[in-house]
Amino acid sequence: MTETPTAIPDSPERPGGTIATDHIFSVDEQTVLRELAGLVVTASAEYDLPGADDELIFNDILASARDVEDGVRAALLRVADCAVELAQATSELEGQPEMAPFVSLVLQCYYRDDRVMRSLDMEPRPPFPLGYAVPEGDWSMLAAVQARGKIWREV
Amino acid sequence: MSNDRDGAKAVDYSPADVLVIGAGASGAVAAWNLAETKMRIVCLEQGGWSDPSQYPSTGRDWETRTQSDFSISPNRRAQPADYPVNDDDSPIKVANFNGVGGGTVLYAGHYPRFHPSDFRVKSLDGVGDDWPVDYDTLEPFYAQNDRVTGVSGLAGDPAYPPKQSVLPPLPMGLSGQRLAEGFNKLGWHWWPSDSAIATQPYNGRDKCINLGACLYGCAQGAKASTDITYWPEAIRAGVELRAWCRVKEITVDDAGMATGAVYFDEQGVEQFQPAHVVIMACNGVGTPRILLNSKSKQFPDGLANSSGLVGKNLMLHPYASIQGIFADELDGYRGPHDSIWSQEFYETNKERGFVRGYTYEFNRGRGPVATALTGVHSGRIPWGEGHHTAYRRLFNRIAGMVSICEDLPEEHNTVTLDPELTDAHGIPAPKLSYRISDNSQKMLDYSVARASEALEAAGAYDLIVDSPITHGGWHLLGTARMGQDPSRSVVNEWGRSHDVRNLFVVDGSIFVTSAGVNPTRTIQTLALYITDQMKKRLTTLFD
Ligand SMILES: Cc1cc2nc3c(=O)[nH]c(=O)nc-3n(C[C@H](O)[C@H](O)[C@H](O)COP(=O)(O)OP(=O)(O)OC[C@H]3O[C@@H](n4cnc5c(N)ncnc54)[C@H](O)[C@@H]3O)c2cc1C
Ligand code: SF4
Repeated sequence: MTETPTAIPDSPERPGGTIATDHIFSVDEQTVLRELAGLVVTASAEYDLPGADDELIFNDILASARDVEDGVRAALLRVADCAVELAQATSELEGQPEMAPFVSLVLQCYYRDDRVMRSLDMEPRPPFPLGYAVPEGDWSMLAAVQARGKIWREV
Repeated sequence: MSNDRDGAKAVDYSPADVLVIGAGASGAVAAWNLAETKMRIVCLEQGGWSDPSQYPSTGRDWETRTQSDFSISPNRRAQPADYPVNDDDSPIKVANFNGVGGGTVLYAGHYPRFHPSDFRVKSLDGVGDDWPVDYDTLEPFYAQNDRVTGVSGLAGDPAYPPKQSVLPPLPMGLSGQRLAEGFNKLGWHWWPSDSAIATQPYNGRDKCINLGACLYGCAQGAKASTDITYWPEAIRAGVELRAWCRVKEITVDDAGMATGAVYFDEQGVEQFQPAHVVIMACNGVGTPRILLNSKSKQFPDGLANSSGLVGKNLMLHPYASIQGIFADELDGYRGPHDSIWSQEFYETNKERGFVRGYTYEFNRGRGPVATALTGVHSGRIPWGEGHHTAYRRLFNRIAGMVSICEDLPEEHNTVTLDPELTDAHGIPAPKLSYRISDNSQKMLDYSVARASEALEAAGAYDLIVDSPITHGGWHLLGTARMGQDPSRSVVNEWGRSHDVRNLFVVDGSIFVTSAGVNPTRTIQTLALYITDQMKKRLTTLFD
């Protein structure tokens, strides 16, 4: 595995993970959305993590926004109503229902980024075909259950 | 024939001996079991074959696709195979999958049997109705289905009469062990779940590799969906499965016998497939929808509906989800949904304030995106500063259980035809009207309270409760119930319509009561039993 970020993750819609340019949002709208993404998930020096406004992650967000355009537009409308500058608007916007679709999109894209997955001790790959290891557990714990005997009801 | 997945060959519209409608859990079993008769069996299925190499777990965006083309909600998925369901008048929304394999393509594979008491609810507890069949009669068919499906589990569960398991149990994992510790502290029952997931290579299927994405199709082929279990065998035995064929209605002759089905083929062209016997296997919503849409001079209220009970007594199994947050790391995104279960509160104890009971099924955890969504939307993970630290307090640290509450039959819970909404072919869509009963609500509340105690005993320091699970209408039962009395049931004790002697129902609609467990093992067992009865009565089938 290379440590270099590898653009947008593979998906059937985006084979090869190339960065898509999205035209359904104007340049101004893209600027607002990027700033908003960075408010939701901020870069962290402590964890050495990018924010959701990172270029690769934001490009993924923008490419994926097509599928939830109405929800993203609802967030833009809500932002336009803000009483304060966007940079100061977290307390006004956080938890608002109109923000939920865009926030969900941000989280979906952020938590599939290679750097973010590695920071969580995950390998940056899909579940299939390698799968994961799960410990068997201690089946001797069942002795206590068996000791109580049958609990099903005779008819 | 059109079993080939690359497109239709010339279609044979000569009369089929048996026409199965729906290629899901029960339709597959019915076709498989009748195949040995060498009758001409045709199955019409509105969806297509799934390609496991395209299942979400094969891509990095797998959690996103669970919200779109692999959503469990047909209304959200809205793929060409889907029909809309108006479930606005129900606090529990429908979950299904339309295509070869039906709901088993998405199911978790929790695979409990009913208990002997589940078939005798009226006699034991004075509610619902008794079934016209019992556990002992069905036991050999349970065992037969277990072998085809390859059920994993551990023999000796004290909540059941003795039964064998075909494959070893799924791993308990860190999450299962932690929860089991809590249950042991309280002296409560738990046991490895019976599961339709192969833990060793079985009948050409590979073993589970703990992908953790069972609800979105098993790319590994470990989970027993009928497109990879019953169907390949049935097709090899001569059954014709015609995909992308949506049935509009069942037709009848002047004598009131079914004559076949009108359907729309892949090109959207209306076709007619004549048949001597029709078997409905479209599930507890799809079957009443087609029966109610099959109106005729003889059957003005819909087919097989002289009792007025087609579409009534809908049971959905209200679920509660009770998850704990733990200080140390558990399974998280690793491992199948199934692990262990508890039936401590399964049988009636009137001191609890309700009759009947429920099963807890334990959950291992959730993926990285699902963790973020849960945390942010519940206010546990803030935006901005503090996001990452709060996220790490949840990631791989959530585990808990769902309770599956027995839903009792109530005639006001219905599937009817929506007066306006239609599918892409203009067929009226089903409309649900459903209320959670007082008994079920008490059971839900009780299950949340006891689960909270168990999670605390297991060491959880915070709880996430969701009751009822809104999008948890995955068990669709009761809308064409079995019974001996034609005025109180739609089909008889071996699945034949009381009104139409060559029409059978084998899917979840025939359930008399719902029990407090997932239904598919019993649905498939009943489909085996009914088709076995048909084979035994071939010469007198219509008497
Ligand atoms: C997300 C999810 C999780 C689940 N988890 C579990 C679990 O862990 N354990 C369990 O026991 N159960 C589970 N279930 C439920 C399980 O899938 C169902 O109980 C089971 O599939 C029902 O079997 P059936 O034969 O009644 O109908 P289905 O399997 O739903 O099959 C019906 C078939 O009929 C077809 N059909 C419908 N209408 C028409 C028409 N007009 N023309 C042609 N074809 C038509 C459909 O496309 C479908 O393929 C789950 C379901 C879902 C959606
Ligand atoms: S966890 Fe097992 S059953 Fe579930 S999808 Fe993965 S391999 Fe299949």
